[in-house]
Amino acid sequence: MAPLARHLRAPMLTTLATLFSHYRRHPGQLAMLLLGLWVAGALWSGVQAINASARDSYDRAEALFTTGLDRLERRDGEPLDREDFVSLRRAGLPVSPLLEGRVDTAKGERLTVIGIDPLTLPGDSAFATAGSGGELTTFFTPPWQTRLAPDTVLRLGLERQTAPGAEPALADGRRLPPLVLAPSLPPDTLVMDIAAAARLLERGTTLSRLVTAPGALESAPEGYRLSRAETLVDPGELTASFHLNLTAMALLALIVGLFIVQAALGLALEQRLGLLRTLRALGVPGRTLVGLLALELVLLGVIGALAGIASGVWLARALLPDVAATLQNLYGAAVGTQLHLPWHYWMGGLGVTLGGLFIAGSGTLWRASRLGVLGMGQAQAWRASFQRQLWVQVIAGTLAALLALAVWAWLSAQPAGEGLVAGFVLVGAMMLACALWLSPLLAVGLAGLGRLARSTPLTQWALADLQLQLPRLSLAMMALLIALSANLGVGSMVGGFRLTFLDWLDQRLTADLYLRPPAEQFDEVQAWLGARGEVAELLPTADAGSTLLEVRAGADDRRLEVPVSLFGITPGVRLTPTWPLLESRDGREAAWTALENGEAFINEQLALGHGIGPGDRLVLRAPNGQQAMTVAAIYPDYGNPRGEVLMTATALRERFAAAPGSIGVVLAETADPDGSKADTLSRDLTERFGLDQEALIDQRQVKALSTDIFERTFSITRALNALTLAVAALALLASLLAQARERRRRLAPLWALGVTRGRLAGIQLAQLGGAALVTGLAAVPLGIAITACLVAIINVAAFGWRLPLHVFPVEIGITLGTALLVALLATGLPALTLWRTSPRTLLAEGEAT
Amino acid sequence: MLEFRQVHKAYATPQGPLKVLDGVDLSLNAGESLALMGESGCGKSTLLHLAAGLDLPDRGEVRLADRVISSLGEADRARLRRETLGLVFQQFHLVPSLCVLDNLRLQARLAGRERPNWTAELIERLGLAGLEKRYPEQLSGGQQQRLAIGRALAPRPALLLADEPTGNLDESTADQVLELLLALVRDTGCALLMVTHSPRVAAPLDRRLQLSHGRIG
Repeated sequence: MAPLARHLRAPMLTTLATLFSHYRRHPGQLAMLLLGLWVAGALWSGVQAINASARDSYDRAEALFTTGLDRLERRDGEPLDREDFVSLRRAGLPVSPLLEGRVDTAKGERLTVIGIDPLTLPGDSAFATAGSGGELTTFFTPPWQTRLAPDTVLRLGLERQTAPGAEPALADGRRLPPLVLAPSLPPDTLVMDIAAAARLLERGTTLSRLVTAPGALESAPEGYRLSRAETLVDPGELTASFHLNLTAMALLALIVGLFIVQAALGLALEQRLGLLRTLRALGVPGRTLVGLLALELVLLGVIGALAGIASGVWLARALLPDVAATLQNLYGAAVGTQLHLPWHYWMGGLGVTLGGLFIAGSGTLWRASRLGVLGMGQAQAWRASFQRQLWVQVIAGTLAALLALAVWAWLSAQPAGEGLVAGFVLVGAMMLACALWLSPLLAVGLAGLGRLARSTPLTQWALADLQLQLPRLSLAMMALLIALSANLGVGSMVGGFRLTFLDWLDQRLTADLYLRPPAEQFDEVQAWLGARGEVAELLPTADAGSTLLEVRAGADDRRLEVPVSLFGITPGVRLTPTWPLLESRDGREAAWTALENGEAFINEQLALGHGIGPGDRLVLRAPNGQQAMTVAAIYPDYGNPRGEVLMTATALRERFAAAPGSIGVVLAETADPDGSKADTLSRDLTERFGLDQEALIDQRQVKALSTDIFERTFSITRALNALTLAVAALALLASLLAQARERRRRLAPLWALGVTRGRLAGIQLAQLGGAALVTGLAAVPLGIAITACLVAIINVAAFGWRLPLHVFPVEIGITLGTALLVALLATGLPALTLWRTSPRTLLAEGEAT
Repeated sequence: MLEFRQVHKAYATPQGPLKVLDGVDLSLNAGESLALMGESGCGKSTLLHLAAGLDLPDRGEVRLADRVISSLGEADRARLRRETLGLVFQQFHLVPSLCVLDNLRLQARLAGRERPNWTAELIERLGLAGLEKRYPEQLSGGQQQRLAIGRALAPRPALLLADEPTGNLDESTADQVLELLLALVRDTGCALLMVTHSPRVAAPLDRRLQLSHGRIG
């Protein structure tokens, strides 16, 4: 048995070693193959690592008590107090108090403090089950405990090993109760007994909320409002679209990377056709040969995938802080900045890269298995199959275009904001159709130009030669088209968003100064400001929360249970003309008059999310029962994940007992170029009312802060976009470098016929520069179509707001320039080598073919 | 060793089927050498491909080492080729990514019959000593063909099939290569079927047959 096995193994190993020997002589091809696998795997794994870590944070947050428990609030809008808790418990209701606040660490990091009463907290909440291991009495008796996740320890400036038992100091010098690690807690959160939290946060007897187990109360007690757990949106749900966006970008990078792999595999196989024939003639069965080629693929795949995953983890570590900031800004979702990778992440990464490799390589293996042993060494057989492949691409491209049309028709029939996945399918199908059509388009174009250029032999030769190179270049060109169009599409979307967002900020932030006085000082401050000569107008606001119970649109009456924000503004000379409106019932002026007469505006998110339009009537829960109002207009509200109803601040305070919010101060129109007037007013306000510096915000600061948040929000998108383009550039570069030697050989006869080497190098540059330019030109309309899909379909479905379509000529110029630059770089190195190769060597290489 | 019985072979062309072999009968005994001669395009290479099991006849029977080739599956034909045959091509078909020594040992390793002493002897007799680490492209045409012969004989096959082994070489080099080939065939005791159009190359072999219009003349 053993000798037989040895006998069977010997030819296999010899054949495998012989197949691999090709890469020893052509390390560039091996590098290209591994590079493709590496970059494809790195971007995919990086994004998956980010998603996995974020999901872990959401799971931990969700498992705590933020969304899993029913909540009680006072109907009169007053804050909850320990008295509320005591009286409700005395009435036999199973409520538990929560206190929430923020503290600044000595490192300047801001952490959330949650105070709980472990004795009354519902027993199946995550804290009761996972976070509270150990002695319970030490938790709620002095010196108490601070429970926190291991990744939060680093934010306190401590090491994980030394953290348990430590009592780190905060920014104000006070110390936290001794630390206890609880891995199931969400990041950036400190959980302690409510008495310890009240002391730390200096809250006295006030509470943030009262919670009960889901369904424990049938109805709200008298004087309280009950919010059911299922109506509270969890962070995982809110951020699903963001993660889908990231995954789509990563998938794009994976596909572009696999294009490189397929190009490398095709080239390696084409150059080994002679070797395959020889091995077949020497007695290696065809099936064994294909099997060994597949094994070679798997071995290289594992190496590439592992390298990709390792780099992906590194990439994720680098990007995670920005992603965490984005998620915090966009959705208020807390995500840790430490990676948490479950075992299935590693297996998934390996599986996807190997699966992709199998798809990329299966075509090559299939073609190899179908070529007969006698025709195997003939490159013509291979090229003939490329002609067939062009037809297959035309047909497949047409099918993809039809799919895109069908999806577009389906989306047109859906209400706005529907079809996130369908939106991505539409973008994918469009890209696929264009990528598949590119090679046939180039082939037809070259053939046509070749006929036109009959009178100029060198041009005719250059065109014919480019046609010959097309089979090897086509995949890299397709990858470049996809990356360029995605880059243009996403770039224009982000650019358009930036433009719209900054305009919107200018329109909404009209006051020069904003201040948020304490509720008890609000009226006094407002009166004092009103008496100041330099103040032209005051724009007080108010805010509250409510639930949208009903929407009446004509005869249609829908009952809902949607939590919404209520925001009160003060229409006036400064605010009204600039406040942007997307849609109104009877025009802009009539809408503002209606608002002042008690009607409401709603934000785009609420309008799109629930199909509400101007003229519809809303019924909202209010402290004294219900309040009904008509929608007069819809306004854009970028960056807000929730639905919002807007009314005058006066109406909001009267009808919903809302707490006063901020006061916008519009200064008189006299020159104040250096902002000194605003500074003087700030100083006076601080001195007169003892206001905290934080209560006063200059408009310029708000804009700067908002712009900064915006830039951070899209930094991950920009980074992934740039990386995808870099991958495509590498694909083209690697493809060209891998075949540089063979292309040089084809140039030898031309040199022998008297064409100078400089001219030959110029021809090469013109050939590839031209092909890249055509690819870049094809990417422009595709990129614009992608932008249109992103702003009109995907953004609306993902974020709830629509953006106007902006096309940036500079961005288009950059796209074309990038295509040319990539081609010129990729040609430059081989052209330089050609320049430096002696004519004799050039001819010798040609003869050796 | 090798036997053709009424072998027919035709290729499909746009103008209709092209008959290449039309009822060929041929036999070759162990240790015997046979030259198959004929004009270009007369079917010599087709006959060699059929003998090697690289292609199958339309009709008739090809027996190699007492086995009917057309009754074997692709894997068995490959094994028979690996264990019984040595092949020498006009175009050498060396593996460009393997060095001289690895090329020489390739078929012996595939057959699981590598003998280091014999390999070393072959290197010496082929005049390739000192060139073991070079790659095929660094050798002259004569050296490449000598290496191809060595590769075919390294596993000491029962039958050597040679397709115009000197067709790509100048006259003086061709003579040297042929002399070496015959000496090695004699020493290893294998049978030889050589396809050639040159009477001068065919002369030293035991028998000579003429292939014309698809038949042995």
